[in-house]
Amino acid sequence: MAVAAKQVTTGPKSKRRRARGQIATIAAATVIGVITFAAIFAPQLAPYDPYQVDLPSALQEPSWEHWLGTDTQGRDLLSRIMYGTRLTLLTSLTALLIGSVFGALLGLVAVFFPASDGPIGRLLDILLSFPAVLFGLALGASLGPGLLPVTIALAIATIPEVGRITRAAALVVARQEYMQSGKAIGLSRATLFFKYLAWNCVPTVFVFLTLRFGFIVLLGAGLNFLGLGAAPPTAELGVLAAEGRNVLAFAPHVATYPSLAIFLLVLSLNVLGDALRDKLDKRLL
Amino acid sequence: MKPALLDVEDLTVVYDGDDDSRVDLVAGISFILRAGETLGLVGESGSGKSLTALAMMDLLGPNLAAGGTITLDGRELGGLSSRQRRRLCGTELAMVFQDPMTALNPVYNIGDQIAEVLLTHRLVSRGQARARAIDLLRQVGIPDPAQRVDAYPHQLSGGMRQRVVIAIALAGDPSILIADEPTTALDVTVQAQILELLRSLRDQRGMGTILISHDLGAVAEIATHVMVMYAGQVVEHAPAASLFREPQHPYTIGLLGSLPKLGVRERRLTTIGGRVPLPGTVKSGCRFADRCPWVLETCRREAPPLLQAAADHRAACFRVPLPTADGLGGRA
Repeated sequence: MAVAAKQVTTGPKSKRRRARGQIATIAAATVIGVITFAAIFAPQLAPYDPYQVDLPSALQEPSWEHWLGTDTQGRDLLSRIMYGTRLTLLTSLTALLIGSVFGALLGLVAVFFPASDGPIGRLLDILLSFPAVLFGLALGASLGPGLLPVTIALAIATIPEVGRITRAAALVVARQEYMQSGKAIGLSRATLFFKYLAWNCVPTVFVFLTLRFGFIVLLGAGLNFLGLGAAPPTAELGVLAAEGRNVLAFAPHVATYPSLAIFLLVLSLNVLGDALRDKLDKRLL
Repeated sequence: MKPALLDVEDLTVVYDGDDDSRVDLVAGISFILRAGETLGLVGESGSGKSLTALAMMDLLGPNLAAGGTITLDGRELGGLSSRQRRRLCGTELAMVFQDPMTALNPVYNIGDQIAEVLLTHRLVSRGQARARAIDLLRQVGIPDPAQRVDAYPHQLSGGMRQRVVIAIALAGDPSILIADEPTTALDVTVQAQILELLRSLRDQRGMGTILISHDLGAVAEIATHVMVMYAGQVVEHAPAASLFREPQHPYTIGLLGSLPKLGVRERRLTTIGGRVPLPGTVKSGCRFADRCPWVLETCRREAPPLLQAAADHRAACFRVPLPTADGLGGRA
């Protein structure tokens, strides 16, 4: 049925648009594929040790020897970006997973147990009213700088929005007849909660998470750039961009390449998330 | 006569709003269902048919409360906890819903969904569940059940899905099956097949079935008894043959009269003028008074009780029993 409906609404114009969209999607998927591959296999692929200081060759322009040049201490920028992406992706993913598990549970519970809807709604409102940067500042101040406070801040920033999206999705699912008929055949509450309610919310929440991923990467890099997270020698994209800022006037490549990596990563994640949304969740269109 | 399987006495459903508003949605439903019988519950949208069914299943939504007594196989359900009630769902009482397109969980294949019921009620072991699921699919007339057991709901047609829904309802071997408009969302040929399936399953298993429908044709097809509901009340309750032959209540007469007749070219279909009053708006008198062509002075003052027209045949109208012979019966 869905296929038939699609054919009806597809005019020649939207067909062209879809073809363009597909090219962008493929490009985005390729970029993410390359970046993720480089990040995962950084120890094997990186041409140099990202922490190997080589002062005589500091601030070199890109060359055959150092593809993206070297930084203020002569460390190979390409290697540092590969390791940096690894760390950025890892913290963002961890935060996203932890935050979305808590957020999704809150959203599902709010729908499944209507009495809890009010309190959970207020809790999410409170979380939503804290800017994540502020949270990162506070945590960084109390826990000291490092990747842990950044991850926690990012996770907490993920909770309220995932919670609201899940609640909205669950409200739709809860009205479906299979929830009612599941009750009518005497299924246990756990089955109804996990197998009926939660599983049917997964597509919507998953699409939202892919769209959210780019934002979390950006936010994480931003917190690290501000010095609230990883300390300078650490190879992390935000930290690398911050290091390059000091020499921007005479060695622009040091700040440019890490920033470019963040830009490409976030852009591709958003494009891919958009494509996934079109594919999986018609209701959000 | 067989003993009563289900005895419903004075069932009510009340909307109890947050702002202290109370509206009677269903009032005074009483009936007895015996094994092998089919009770047709007829009425237009909003007449309380589905609420009656949901009240029996203990599936009423928030702000809705059921009253009255329901006795299932000699056991009074009002005294049970909600956990005990839930345990009866599927094993004693089962329900088939209207829309087979949304009544199945889209993320699991149908075999798993049947197995879920079997395992929930501890009827079979995990290893036997699949074989039992295939067996149930065969019983509801799904061709090639060993293959279809792995199919997902979206891979099946509407009629097939309704058969699967029925298989799931039957998995716990219930003694009473409530079918809420089971054929409304299906096309006509499939409707007939599903009704035939329900009838043969009832006869094989000796189940009591309750068929909720606004389709008099479907009800005439398989019901042994018919209860006509209007605005939350029973207006006529009779054995099917008697009801279709000699309808007593003006509403039933109007419903039967508004069916298009085969072979008769009608310029306009006959209708019942006016509309169903909103719940809670009729304070006194008969709820059908404003639409009744034979309305009397008394109808507006007091509500007519269910009056005996014949053995087993009762209707809530002051004119009951109607004079026999054609006269008015001919209108139907």
